[in-house]
Amino acid sequence: MARYRNDDDSYFKPIRRVLVGCLVVGLLCLFLLWRIDSPRVERIRMEIVERVVPGLDWAMAPITGLSRMAEDFQSYARLYEQNEELRRELQQMKAWREAALQLEQENAQLKDLNTVRIEPELTFITGVVMADSGSPFRRSVILNVGAEDGVQDGWATMDGLGLVGRIAGTGESAARVLLLTDPSSRVPVILQPSGQRAMLVGDNSGTPLIDFIEAPEQVRPGDRVVTSGDGGLFPADLLAGQVARATDGRFRLRLSADYERLKFLRVLRSQPTPPLPEAAPIDGIVTPPLAALEALAYG
Amino acid sequence: MDSALDLRRWSLRGVFALIVAVVLISALLPLRVEAPRFPGPDLVLCVTLAWVLRRPDVLPVLFVVLAVLLEDFLFQRPPGLWALLVLAGSEVIRRQAYREGEIPFLLEYGMVAGTITAMMVAERVLLAIAFVPQPSLGAHLLHLATTIAIYPIVVAISVFVLGVRPLTTDGPRIRGMRP
Repeated sequence: MARYRNDDDSYFKPIRRVLVGCLVVGLLCLFLLWRIDSPRVERIRMEIVERVVPGLDWAMAPITGLSRMAEDFQSYARLYEQNEELRRELQQMKAWREAALQLEQENAQLKDLNTVRIEPELTFITGVVMADSGSPFRRSVILNVGAEDGVQDGWATMDGLGLVGRIAGTGESAARVLLLTDPSSRVPVILQPSGQRAMLVGDNSGTPLIDFIEAPEQVRPGDRVVTSGDGGLFPADLLAGQVARATDGRFRLRLSADYERLKFLRVLRSQPTPPLPEAAPIDGIVTPPLAALEALAYG
Repeated sequence: MDSALDLRRWSLRGVFALIVAVVLISALLPLRVEAPRFPGPDLVLCVTLAWVLRRPDVLPVLFVVLAVLLEDFLFQRPPGLWALLVLAGSEVIRRQAYREGEIPFLLEYGMVAGTITAMMVAERVLLAIAFVPQPSLGAHLLHLATTIAIYPIVVAISVFVLGVRPLTTDGPRIRGMRP
């Protein structure tokens, strides 16, 4: 292999070198800017997503349609099995329905005794999933509701069945939902019968890890996992799923939300918790500020 | 130069843009939201390297960077980083493209595999330096392995179906002729 360069190289190289140099510096700066001032760059990202993703609709509609048709066709092929399965489930459901009716009556009586007020602030906005994250290492979806609809960062998102994730990044008419399975997702939860607090840690698998359990021996597979509302990020008591034990003995979450069919998502309007006033009156006595106390002590 | 070559060049650029678009759309389609069993290959990277080695005039550096940067933004990756590494990797390969003589495929394969591996290692190192949370090593290795595994397929399709071959010339090399 002879190693001499092309004629056009010497002609071409100086300008190219400057261009490549500029590109390298530019890209490095972009990465550093993202690292230093992430929110600004993420906003740019949301704008690009907003520009591009709806533009892909015309391409996505037929492909999505075709794949849905293929799925439907497969389900036709298994019609008989499905029918049997549904019959069995219907039998079980009848029993459950009876139980539910009884519980409903009981619940109504108890609520009456309690005069519970259901939180009026917990209303929701429904959005349609437009796209997913695309990368094999990130788990998120793009919704077609955004800042125009009042969606804000940090709001919880659910499908009909359970918690899906939270809003991370809003554009004018699109918002990104960081799923519970994303490696950067952390959600404080309570494991229901035992009342243990734990952390739900996404790790890019279909079943997020339940970490930091204080007394793992009290936890049973099948326990309900709900959000704890710690940190004020999420409302409390949103169902996330059930505890399952992985083969390595660690606890994981079987998600209630149906991640295979995310289509319509509810974004819960959570109200920010008001910060505590600086000097709250205790038993009606207004406590003086710290400076005044010090002045009293040393003055 | 002659318009036939220009037409061919631009049609190949169009095919490249089409490949990027198809990869973007198929990845963004909300069909399977749950985590895949293993991360798929980076098709755009394979196509870029295979083409740059054969026809460096088809994929100018700006074209490659813009495509990968768009991917960075849409795939929620740290913007700029992967584009930077693809730029560096493609420049390494591009340098080989200007050398005289045929490179046997095995040598080329080894060279490309080495470049891709170096790029992914560099990505992990840079992410670690910047304290960015990273995907697990196992997933990343699988991603690397699948990417290297599909490279020969990409080359075969490029050469035999799309006709991305080094331009041959007799006599001295001239501008635009870069075997």
